Amino acid sequence: MGEENTFYQEYEIFSKRTPNSAFQHQFSLLAPNEDMALIMAQENFMRREPVADIWIVNRKHLKRMNADEKRTLVRLENKEYRTTKGYGYLKKKWRQYEQEMLDEKEILSWGGERK
Amino acid sequence: MTNANNTTEEKQLEQFMQRIEAGDKIEADDWMPDEYRMTLIKLISMHGMSEIMGALPEKEWVPKAPSLQRKLGIMAKVQDEMGHGQLLLRVTEDLMKPYGKNRADLMQDLFNGDLKFHNVFHMETKTWADAGIIGWLVDGAAIITQTDMLKASYGPYARALQRICAEEVFHAQHGESIILALSEGTEGQKSMVQEALDRWWQPLLMFFGPASKETTGSSKQDLTIKYKIRTKTNEEFRQIFFDKYIPRILSLGLKIPDPTFHFDKNGKLWMYEQPDWNEFKKIIKNQGPRSEARLNLRRQSYEYNSWVRDALSASTS
Repeated sequence: MGEENTFYQEYEIFSKRTPNSAFQHQFSLLAPNEDMALIMAQENFMRREPVADIWIVNRKHLKRMNADEKRTLVRLENKEYRTTKGYGYLKKKWRQYEQEMLDEKEILSWGGERK
Repeated sequence: MTNANNTTEEKQLEQFMQRIEAGDKIEADDWMPDEYRMTLIKLISMHGMSEIMGALPEKEWVPKAPSLQRKLGIMAKVQDEMGHGQLLLRVTEDLMKPYGKNRADLMQDLFNGDLKFHNVFHMETKTWADAGIIGWLVDGAAIITQTDMLKASYGPYARALQRICAEEVFHAQHGESIILALSEGTEGQKSMVQEALDRWWQPLLMFFGPASKETTGSSKQDLTIKYKIRTKTNEEFRQIFFDKYIPRILSLGLKIPDPTFHFDKNGKLWMYEQPDWNEFKKIIKNQGPRSEARLNLRRQSYEYNSWVRDALSASTS
């Protein structure tokens, strides 16, 4: 039993479904080294779903937040000037000038051919 | 910020319960009361080992499955079950870390009878219809208990269950496909399904556990509900199972092997004859019809594969 303690390491597995998607944490597994971890990650977590890339991270290399640190993540609710929510009144304004507001949906649709 | 060292255990427990009540997710490194940790270790190790203990006899069906398609289907299911076991043992290992224990200890606990596995995997399978009933109804029963825990307070378990439940849907349909094919087949095939249902009826009732702890002396259902690991009692799960599956069983022309079985419209409850709970107690103490044989399968595969562990340990120097 004790012997296994010495050769198994804990790896966290991340993967992405398509070249364009963000990496997502899948799960952790035990393996003696990175190469085995990669094989086991495919065996364990990618039997069906499409996968474009896999990252293997030894858990000891992850900086993780403790409970106190996590408490600092709570956001104050007074930062509307940072978000589009604080500028919603523009829609009404533009209507006075008989113009449509260029909102997030409109702006993010601008890539590609000129319509 | 509070200094964790100065907080008394009482205060920690209070904060912990507040998090549980608020629907927060507990993670492996978070403070948790021993009772919570122990309840999770028991529940998840039993779940994980049962996945593996179920996969071992199921793989014996691969050579006997009636067509190439069926062989591939059941092989994929066996592979999934082993994968589920891996996920769940990993979750358990992180929980056991403060006690200095690991997967090898769980294996020993299984071999010496301290770690139980699900009652259904102590039973004998006789025909291909049993393989169908197991996929359709045993996996169906498992889906009912597992989907209830998708929102479990312990994050790592809830996330493992997300993956597991998605694959269980395939297992259930794989079982349905076997049962529907047999039910539309010859008279001999039809009676094979009825015989398998007769064999599995009691184990299926037992699967959810007794309604109260008075029946067998102990039950974890109160603790798992208190800590929001699950939301429903054993009996509630059993009733949901009847809701979902009784109409489907009857629609195939199968008979429920219990003449007293009926739906009580006033109480909105399915009434059924209790299974032999003394038999259940024996089964979960590894005195079921196939308990020893299944444990031996596990022992053999553990010993047979020991060279892999040896080889792996040699490669890291």
